[in-house]
Amino acid sequence: MNKTALVIIIVGLVIGIGIIFIGGSRGNNNTNTTKNTQVKNTEIKDGTQYITIDAKGGYSPKISTAKAGIPTKLIVKTNGTYDCSAALRISSIGFQKILKNTGEEVIDLGTPKAGPFQGVCGMGMYSFNVEFE
Amino acid sequence: MLKKYTLHVTGTHCPSCKILLEDILSEQDFVKNGKVNLKREIVEIETDTEKSAEEVVNILNDKIKTNGYFLSVDKMMKEKESDDIIWKAIPIGLGFLILFFLLQKSGILNLGIGSQTTPATSFIIGIIASLSSCLAIVGGLVLSLSAKVVQDDNKSTKKPFILFHAGRLFGFAILGGILGLIGEAIGINFLFSAILGLLASTVMILLGFNLLGIFKKNKITLPSNIFSFFRRVEHATWAPILIGLGTFFLPCGFTQSMQISALSSGSFVSGFLIMFSFALGTLPVLALLSFGSFSFAHSKHAPLFFKSAGVVVVGLGIFALLAGLAGVGIINPLFNL
Repeated sequence: MNKTALVIIIVGLVIGIGIIFIGGSRGNNNTNTTKNTQVKNTEIKDGTQYITIDAKGGYSPKISTAKAGIPTKLIVKTNGTYDCSAALRISSIGFQKILKNTGEEVIDLGTPKAGPFQGVCGMGMYSFNVEFE
Repeated sequence: MLKKYTLHVTGTHCPSCKILLEDILSEQDFVKNGKVNLKREIVEIETDTEKSAEEVVNILNDKIKTNGYFLSVDKMMKEKESDDIIWKAIPIGLGFLILFFLLQKSGILNLGIGSQTTPATSFIIGIIASLSSCLAIVGGLVLSLSAKVVQDDNKSTKKPFILFHAGRLFGFAILGGILGLIGEAIGINFLFSAILGLLASTVMILLGFNLLGIFKKNKITLPSNIFSFFRRVEHATWAPILIGLGTFFLPCGFTQSMQISALSSGSFVSGFLIMFSFALGTLPVLALLSFGSFSFAHSKHAPLFFKSAGVVVVGLGIFALLAGLAGVGIINPLFNL
């Protein structure tokens, strides 16, 4: 094969990787925003705000919004989760734990201030964001 | 009367090659003085023989070809050739990387597994883990080390690979048993495994570049003791076993979940069985990577294989490094698979 053809293939493959990483995550964000409008993952009960995140093969929803300034608890639900998303790390509150394969982990966030909040899995390839506003 | 020949050499890819080659040269009666210049890929010998340069080259090649070196009077047109190989290797390597990341994206690997951890489910989880993003770090390391070990010594046997897999299988089993025995008393340290992961990804990137031959021009920039370590790995019995055992601590969500299961299993036997069947589940893919490297490296496609493996390893290494840095909170997560 001549070099020009191979260079064209390489450029094509690099674009392919780019689509997997960038285009793919944009697509997921879109489904998340629709998910957020349909299924709300925050709930206020007895003055405490509960944010529910599913952990299995990544976190869902990846982006959620919640109210700032009220006592908040984060519920991370696992269901037969053996992958990295079970190894949860939230550096802002110094939380790190390998969650039970199936169950709910309730994490007290105190009274969060307005701003972004992030959880990452132990190896770093899955993450979720909660925007407190 | 001493004659001086300047010969071209190929296959001298490591700093210790200089020492080894000069040793072999000094063993020859007719060679009075032999000097290897790695940078210029030149061997200078002084000889008292009446033989022509071509004859000297033929005699010496018989002695050194088993070590993977090759002398020639004229500079080989290797440069051009390896240039072509790299252009073929990049698309092959990228193709594998795309397949791998598509597999992660597809969600096929997130199939439901019962919440009860039995040896049977841990075996299935092991198979899934060996195809998951854990492959980036454990598989990448296995591929780069195997390719490197085979490339460094053409006489190599399958022994280090068998020892590695045995070390991994029984290391997992025994450590799993210990976890089951001690129970909740010990915690699995996040930071320790994260640092180990960053270390492993750095080694992968370095070995990947080395397989690609990017450091060829300035080999000295790489610490030579790292490579002499890998040469020793080849011959030592303990090193592959220890590396196999060490993969227990590498960051992999699946491994860590299994460790938690072993921890809460409550007995040596159940922890032993859980981790052993998990390691057994990861064996087919990892064995394919290491023994695959071995047979490719002994085929005529060896140069293409080493370069393609280099592309894959560098790609996985960069992925694992960036993800690992995000995991410990040094950088923001760049991707969310």
